[in-house]
Amino acid sequence: MHELRIAEDLSAIVLETAIREKLSIVSKVNISFGQMIQIVPEIFEFAFRECVKNSVAENADLNIEIIPIKMKCIDCGNDFKIEENLFVCNICGSTNLEIREGKELFIKSLEGE
Amino acid sequence: MEIKIMKNILDRNQNKAEEVRGLLKSKNVMMVNIISSPGAGKTTLLERTCEVLGSKFRIGVIEGDITTDRDARRLKKFNIPIVVINTEGGCHLDSHSISKVLDSFSLDDLDVLFVENVGNLICPSQFDLGETFKLAIISTAEGDDKPAKYPMLFREAKAVLLNKIDLLPYTNFNKLSFLKDLRNINGQVPVFEISCTSGEGLKAWFKWIEEQINAR
Repeated sequence: MHELRIAEDLSAIVLETAIREKLSIVSKVNISFGQMIQIVPEIFEFAFRECVKNSVAENADLNIEIIPIKMKCIDCGNDFKIEENLFVCNICGSTNLEIREGKELFIKSLEGE
Repeated sequence: MEIKIMKNILDRNQNKAEEVRGLLKSKNVMMVNIISSPGAGKTTLLERTCEVLGSKFRIGVIEGDITTDRDARRLKKFNIPIVVINTEGGCHLDSHSISKVLDSFSLDDLDVLFVENVGNLICPSQFDLGETFKLAIISTAEGDDKPAKYPMLFREAKAVLLNKIDLLPYTNFNKLSFLKDLRNINGQVPVFEISCTSGEGLKAWFKWIEEQINAR
């Protein structure tokens, strides 16, 4: 249920931005989630709807982009995508890795007028 | 019109976590964020650890619980500073709740602060508390599929404790399969096979955590 807390923080950013930009309606919210964050989009959407009820964003579409996990191998420099939870370099077999992508929890932009 | 934002949604939590980390570093206190399912043995591990390391190090504990102070009461006998955070239904601790209770500790008089997070494998992994590192505990009774199902915790933990190994003969826990999944997710993490009830394997854990405290 971490979706609820993340939805609360997202709605706060959306509503602050709407006030600052003097928007009377927010039509779309564009966000990116890394695959590692394990967000369930349906639960997130439900939680977000609750948070923005009776606000300028109550009918906003949520556009969720899921970013796959990418790691860099510290031993051979290979950048690669993680498939099926296998955190092992697909060139040299090393497990000495650092994360490049996949932990994002980003609001990219919002659309409105 | 489109308004670009490009901001971490959990910025508020992250900024506070960095503040907590900075404060603890300046006070030379190591903070360990202990994450597991309910009933995996977090409190019992703390009991065993306080028994053995309580005379060597100045230990403090933050007990995160949805409700009640039962876990904290179990640790009272060690005469260490303990603060309870009741999340009132919340499934994880966050950096703001930690920051608030740090005022209750005399940080100059601590070497290590153990945070017992709310029992849950997924939500607590997403919220940085400002800890020095995360510790994952899993028990044999929960099943061997946990690393594969909750990769983020096992990827980020600095050590993994496999508790209740005394119960292995009575469960269908497949240790080889567990270790294989875990190694696929985090090939470098140290794993301690322990039983907080029988005491088996705890020596290696005490040695490791002592090294971490000394190297802080």
